[in-house]
Amino acid sequence: MAKTSTFHCSVITPERPVLECEASFVSFPAHDGEMGALVNRGPLVCKLGIGALRVESPEGKHTLFVDGGFAQIADNHLTILTEQAKKKDEIDVAAVNALMGEARSMATATVEAVEAKSDAIKRAAIQIKISKS
Amino acid sequence: MASARIIVKRRKTVRNIRKITRTMQLIATARFQAALARATASKPYTERLARLVSDLSSVTEEVTHPLMRPAADVKKSAMVVITSNRGLCGGYNSNVLRTALSHLKCAEDAGISSDVHMVGKKGCNYFKFLGREFDETLPDITDKPRFDQIEPLANDLMGRFVAGEIASVQVCYMQFLSAGKQSATVAQLLPLQQDAVEGVEETSHNTQYDFSPDPEALLADLLPATVRIRLFQCFTEAIASEQIARMVAMKAATEAAGDMITSLTRQYNRARQTAITMELLDIVGGANALD
Repeated sequence: MAKTSTFHCSVITPERPVLECEASFVSFPAHDGEMGALVNRGPLVCKLGIGALRVESPEGKHTLFVDGGFAQIADNHLTILTEQAKKKDEIDVAAVNALMGEARSMATATVEAVEAKSDAIKRAAIQIKISKS
Repeated sequence: MASARIIVKRRKTVRNIRKITRTMQLIATARFQAALARATASKPYTERLARLVSDLSSVTEEVTHPLMRPAADVKKSAMVVITSNRGLCGGYNSNVLRTALSHLKCAEDAGISSDVHMVGKKGCNYFKFLGREFDETLPDITDKPRFDQIEPLANDLMGRFVAGEIASVQVCYMQFLSAGKQSATVAQLLPLQQDAVEGVEETSHNTQYDFSPDPEALLADLLPATVRIRLFQCFTEAIASEQIARMVAMKAATEAAGDMITSLTRQYNRARQTAITMELLDIVGGANALD
């Protein structure tokens, strides 16, 4: 393979392909923490958590909000399959703030409810952070 | 024969109707193109997901998952029926409903009762008319279904399936095969069939992946995602089919109105000619009487 410093990155949701670009570095939120990928990374299949996806490409940087899904890397192709991906300008700040309010007032009676609450808060907080960046 | 004035009036009415149906045809065409674009936009996700599932299932020895297990002892299943909210789309709704009813009847004969999840006003009204029980599902769905609207329904169905409340889930909808062909189908959503995990023939099976978490855990998350996207695709396809059915129905209506105008014009000409002839005869008769 020719020596290149970039690899292909595509972010796909059920509704549409969100992003297709060449990237020099991608950082994605894996289920157990953030993970970075550079060119010629070994094949990987990984579950995603909630977080920010940062793509550094020669044309510029992209930051997306990602809520779960899967990442697959093979032959310098990174595919992010997620059910929800939002670019910075697609985040509705008012709606996210409302979500944050809802999340804060969620009940925490059971272990599952505590987890759901912390997920909901994380979801809102990351979107707010991305929209402000 | 009707008088020329009445025929002219009728012709005017038919012309107005033709204008309306032609406009509706154009609107349906535009909507169909948008719906088709949406239906094809979800293809990449489906394909990649299927490839991922087959990659994973090739490294796990035997794929067993609650979503694939047939629950034989439960005499209950669920059916999602996708109809439209608006009419004037030819046989679209009646085809879907007929297929759904015949399937329900077969299931009832086999002693399985079905929960019907009805999407769309037309189907709801029909089932109300028949006096059958149904659940009105997703009443606020529009031409542009969003994934987050469909997701709760899919999760609810999967939850009930895994809990053993229902033995299977079917979706009855108008499958979009091509722009020229759509057919009302009953597709099985749950239990997932084996082809869901080995449908794609791939050459990348020899790639040694790093898995995080282990393949079994990944697969356990991937299969529900497969179910969700399948249900979502049923919706996008149904909407594309609805618009194409409306387009065809309105095209036929426009053409029928055109034929009617031609025949009315002929009738009018004949009536006018008759009137002129009668008048001439009167005049000639009168003149002859004077001689």
